[in-house]
Amino acid sequence: MERNSNDVRGLLSRMPDNTAFKQQRLPAWRSHLTAWAVLPGFFTTGAFFLGMGILLILSAKSVKEIEITYTSMCSNCAKLRENASNFYKECTCSVPFFIPEKMPGNVYMYYKLHNFYQNLRRYTISRNNRQLLGEDITNVENCAPFQRDSNGIPIAPCGAIANSMFNDTILLSYYPHSSTRINVPLLSSGITWWTDKHIKFQNPRSNNLPSAFTGTTKPPYWRKPVYQLDPENPENNGFLNNDFIVWMRVAALPTFKKLYRRIHRTGPFANGLPAGNYSFDIAYNFPVTVFKGEKGVVLSTVTWSGGSNLFLGIAYLTTGAVMWLAAFSMTAVHLKMKKRNIVSES
Amino acid sequence: LSGGLSSSLNEEFCLDDNNRIHTSKYNVLTFLPINLFEQFQRVANAYFLFLLILQLIPEISSLSWFTTIVPLVLVLTITAVKDATDDYFRHKSDNQVNNRLSEVLINGRLQSEKWMNVMAGDIIKLENNQFVAADLLLLSSSEPHGLCYIETAELDGETNLKVRHALPVTSELGTDISRLAKFDGVVACEPPNNKLDKFTGDLSWKDNKYPLNNEKIILRGCVLRNTSWCFGMVIFAGPDTKLMQNSGKTKFKRTSIDRLMNTLVLWIFGFLVCMGIILAIGNSIWEHQVGDYFRAFLFQDEVVKNSIFSGFLTFWSYIIILNTVVPISLYVSVEVIRLGHSYFINWDRKMYYSKKETLAEARTTTLNEELGQIEYVFSDKTGTLTQNIMTFNKCSINGKTYGKLFSPLKKIFPLLFSYNKFQFYDHSLVESIKLGDPKVHEFFRLLALCHTVMPEEKNEGKLIYQVQSPDEGALVTAARNFGFIFKSRTPETITVEEMGKVVTYQLLAFLDFNNIRKRMSVIGTNDTFEFGGEGLRTLAIAYRDLNEEYFKEWFKLLEEANREFDKRDECIAAAYEEIEKDMMLLGATAIEDKLQDGVIETIASLSLANIKIWVLTGDKQETAMNIGYSCNMLTDDMNEVFIISGHSAAEVWEELKKAKEILFGRSTGFTNGYAFCEKLQELKRGSTVEESVTGDYALIINGHSLGHALEANLQSEFLEIACICKTVICCRVTPLQKAQVVELVKEYRKAVTLAIGDGANDISMIKSAHIGVGISGQEGMQAVLASDYSFAQFRYLQRLLLVHGRWSYFRMCKFLCYFFYKNFAFTLVHFWFGFFCGFSAQTVYDQWFITLFNIVYTSLPILAMGIFDQDVSEQNSMDYPNLYRPGQLNLLFNKSKFFICIAHGVYTSFALFFIPYGVFYNLAGEDGKHIADYQSFAVTIATSLVIVVSVQIALDTSYWTVINHVFIWGSVATYFSILFTMHSDGIFDVFPNQFPFVGNARHSLTQKNIWLVILLTTVVSVMPVIAFRFIKVDLYPTLSDQARPLKSHRRQPRRTSSRRSGYAFAHQEGYGELITSGKNMRVKNLHPTSGLGKTMYNSTSWIENLCKKTTDTVNSFSLDRTVKL
Repeated sequence: MERNSNDVRGLLSRMPDNTAFKQQRLPAWRSHLTAWAVLPGFFTTGAFFLGMGILLILSAKSVKEIEITYTSMCSNCAKLRENASNFYKECTCSVPFFIPEKMPGNVYMYYKLHNFYQNLRRYTISRNNRQLLGEDITNVENCAPFQRDSNGIPIAPCGAIANSMFNDTILLSYYPHSSTRINVPLLSSGITWWTDKHIKFQNPRSNNLPSAFTGTTKPPYWRKPVYQLDPENPENNGFLNNDFIVWMRVAALPTFKKLYRRIHRTGPFANGLPAGNYSFDIAYNFPVTVFKGEKGVVLSTVTWSGGSNLFLGIAYLTTGAVMWLAAFSMTAVHLKMKKRNIVSES
Repeated sequence: LSGGLSSSLNEEFCLDDNNRIHTSKYNVLTFLPINLFEQFQRVANAYFLFLLILQLIPEISSLSWFTTIVPLVLVLTITAVKDATDDYFRHKSDNQVNNRLSEVLINGRLQSEKWMNVMAGDIIKLENNQFVAADLLLLSSSEPHGLCYIETAELDGETNLKVRHALPVTSELGTDISRLAKFDGVVACEPPNNKLDKFTGDLSWKDNKYPLNNEKIILRGCVLRNTSWCFGMVIFAGPDTKLMQNSGKTKFKRTSIDRLMNTLVLWIFGFLVCMGIILAIGNSIWEHQVGDYFRAFLFQDEVVKNSIFSGFLTFWSYIIILNTVVPISLYVSVEVIRLGHSYFINWDRKMYYSKKETLAEARTTTLNEELGQIEYVFSDKTGTLTQNIMTFNKCSINGKTYGKLFSPLKKIFPLLFSYNKFQFYDHSLVESIKLGDPKVHEFFRLLALCHTVMPEEKNEGKLIYQVQSPDEGALVTAARNFGFIFKSRTPETITVEEMGKVVTYQLLAFLDFNNIRKRMSVIGTNDTFEFGGEGLRTLAIAYRDLNEEYFKEWFKLLEEANREFDKRDECIAAAYEEIEKDMMLLGATAIEDKLQDGVIETIASLSLANIKIWVLTGDKQETAMNIGYSCNMLTDDMNEVFIISGHSAAEVWEELKKAKEILFGRSTGFTNGYAFCEKLQELKRGSTVEESVTGDYALIINGHSLGHALEANLQSEFLEIACICKTVICCRVTPLQKAQVVELVKEYRKAVTLAIGDGANDISMIKSAHIGVGISGQEGMQAVLASDYSFAQFRYLQRLLLVHGRWSYFRMCKFLCYFFYKNFAFTLVHFWFGFFCGFSAQTVYDQWFITLFNIVYTSLPILAMGIFDQDVSEQNSMDYPNLYRPGQLNLLFNKSKFFICIAHGVYTSFALFFIPYGVFYNLAGEDGKHIADYQSFAVTIATSLVIVVSVQIALDTSYWTVINHVFIWGSVATYFSILFTMHSDGIFDVFPNQFPFVGNARHSLTQKNIWLVILLTTVVSVMPVIAFRFIKVDLYPTLSDQARPLKSHRRQPRRTSSRRSGYAFAHQEGYGELITSGKNMRVKNLHPTSGLGKTMYNSTSWIENLCKKTTDTVNSFSLDRTVKL
């Protein structure tokens, strides 16, 4: 008897389980491309893309943007900077320009570099985030070739990125009349990412910033040490200097613009920049002609879709159009084939 | 060859190894080094090791070491765990074997000793049913003449018993321990080898030399049967034994997809090198034009390097970055998918045979997708197509026919007998027996007498018949059921219980069956009357009354014939002919070997799937043809059935020529048989000729003709004709020929072949075909052990191929397409980016993303698709065998498909890079802050990529189970959660240099235009795919597209021809010689306890006789002894 019951159990255990999983009968939805799903899908998506494309183009068109490349305008300075021996010589350059239309709302000032490869592999890795956290400012690991100066003193901030920081000063002046000149108030705050300013970059903990950086030296291309970057605002110094933080977020492509200043909306500029004559007063420090680069300034308003880039709008419009075209041809093919099938079946 | 071993008991100078065996590869200490060494011998792993080394060179390293080491370690670990488990089980079995006990003669006493301690030169005592511990020289045994019986199933798969003789001088030693202990013979023999059927050596003992051959040797792995004890001296121990010398040489089968995959990986590798070269040249140019100045600016006073050298370094850097086009996880994923498919086969209840509790089993887990590409099936007949259960269901006695075939129209209740569930559908026969019809009695008496069955009385008085062939058993069992019970036999007598009365017959002569006479006779007497009879086991039963004088005269003749030296066989045959004449025909029997259930339907269905089925059988032509008709492979409305049965090459050539003329008409002509090279070339090129031939043809060829047809000058003609024919049946073929036919088709048709069989004689063809299937049936497990797949019934083949095979192939192809697409889309973005980053080998993505993309973000959805996907339901794949065609034509994954996948991947990578590029060119955030930085760019492209490939896998998945949902949605969710984790403040605080992307995800992914980029990229990448697929379904619908919407309905295959049943015939010599010689009879009073273990017959002697007597065997194939019905 006992053996028998064992046998029964044995038999049950040998028989594969009748589960949906093991028998490959899991309840499932079989997907296939039916005309009822594909064609309406194409038409609606196409319509959405067309609409979005128009919207994006309109929005990009609404952006007021002025770009001035000043390398050639300041050719004297550019020449001067090509020679490294003139490192400490000042060179200023004034670039007048005209804003034909009022730039309403918030206006942002960017500097733009052409042919500057911030994305070179060896360049992008030449930094030390631990040092920039202010925890261990003598940590210059990974910063080759700018780890230490010739005396062996660690560089702070170390690395090629920091060393090559953009160091032109650009001031904007407004000329309501040919004789009157108003300096446009510029804000250097609010130009960084919150996470960069509050997490990624920290000054060494100390009451006195210069003493916190003792034992380190400035990068070779810098004129001033890192704790004297902004003489006007003591808070905007050290690793927390806004321009420094912006520079350290390396650009993806060799032509890029970085936010430099925001127009402070006070006085005559409460509603943006009025149309009229302006000029940039540039302290030309950053050499670009040595590597066949160019630099410029951009003044721009923004909308919900960002800057004045038409690419996205055009791409959406094109994609939408192509989808409609495809949808129409697919419908035609489908109807024709259906007809033929019906004919052949009957 | 001598000198391999000289051993003697007293001197103990022998090979120093003991009997311990190691099949395991590792131990705890050696596992890691050896396993790693083995793994790095694989090209893929070695390649990644190479990459790892490259990454450690700082000048080149463009990726952190962890991007390669994480996947590599994962892959190595998975494989190592698998190897370790396998080895653990080998250790376990080794230990079990090594610790088996055996009785060894030590210091004049028998002692139990572990197998591993047995040394060459030891004398071992074996008992009945024990496994043999080492290769032994048989010294003496319990049986007369020093005979002993062994079963060699573990060695060569043959279940029949074999006889071994001890030398007369040693058999005298008997069981005398003291004399055995003094035995000091020296054996000189050949060195250890793997030839199971050969042994040469000699024994020097007491100043005499005795030659030794295989007959004196018992090999390790055999089992002693029907012999209560025997003594043997160990000649070879442990790894020197023939069993061990034979092991571990299994041929490794690879699928065609495997081979294609390897080629493609090489191509991809070439492609990778090309990309590297392009980028390196680009780098040299860039350095020359721009980089020199720019670098001088960036890195100040750095020594300006040669731009060519910079290009060289860049090449290696790009090889590292772009290495993901050669996907390391490919091989592991493929293995996982195949394993999944194998489990589905094992779990399939529809391939479970409840009567025998047999599961279908995927014994090899690496061949599944090949099951979806089979073009030729080579099937054994007996036991594969038929049940190999012989039933006695018709007889004709004295002109009256008894027994009807079961007819479904008229329900006839079968006679039920107490034994063996025997059924017979005719009551009148029982009536005749009761009435005492003498002819009927004579008929059954004859059946009970004329055979070679051995009876065995089990406890409780149960009578078991040990039969050599199932049909013989069927006849004796039938006689027993009708009241003529064969009780026992001695060399001189046969005892039969006739209708309750026990009668003992004197056995005077036994004329065993052979293939020339095709009959067998027993001449016997009892007290009352002389009796002579002849039983043609085939069908007819006849008898002859002999008077004593005639018999004595004839017997003298026979004895003379036996003494004859030169023409002994002829004389004996003549003597047999003399007495086997003037017989009275009593009647005839019909033994049926029934077809298995569902064979007809399966064959019909497989034919519809364009799978050609060739039957290769050891049976004779008539039987094979009958089976062919009964399973509809041959039909009455066939245009022509070619029968090739010529005895010489010329005849075969003539017959083939005729067949060809009928097929093609005379115009085509026939090559002279020596221009075969061109012919084979043609065959290789394709099947253009076949298309021109219409109509159904069948080819039947027998063994000796096949021998000629397989010769080099005829094989092309044979193959050509055979491939045109709808049905090919090869009968009376040897196991070797079976394998040769398979090889021929494999080689010249470049087709995927499957061999299915159940017996030891099918092993060679099972091993040589791409896929071997074993039927776990009547003939033991040998075929199963050699097979790749096994199940209990032929009909499961339909499900294995049409459902499991088709799905496996379909899934694997989809998997590969997607896998290559995915990796190209992923990797080529770096290539495009190279043109915008000064070819500096800068990666587009975060390094962690590169590490995790293949193994975390995208691995599970593709595995789920590879394991669970179904294009059509199983019912549809069974109902529409045409759906199998794409696999045979290799349509779903081939080189052009591969290029399409690659092109798709390249296109996607293009969209993935250039759309964000266009947008980022002059981009500002909504708050005016710049967002066109490298990190945002990386996150945007990575997110787009994950979404695009997820949408793509969603499109490719045609069968959305819960698991697919979980994996696909889960992967996207995992991506985002890992992304946010790695970009979080916490992890940055701990590892600021490893996770520099802090805050990036939350900043970028809250920007509207980033999402617009992702949406655009996704639509642009996926839309063309949908459009193309939709149009393709409309314009060129595949079969599965058409089958999908159809409601499944069962179609009954039509039966085109009248059903014939397959009657089986025995055609093999029995073991009458052994019976009459009495050699295998136990002398009762000597060993009253020993019972018959198993079927016993002297296979060696009948095989010898067979070889001597049969003239019709072209290849006297003495190695493959098993000749099966």
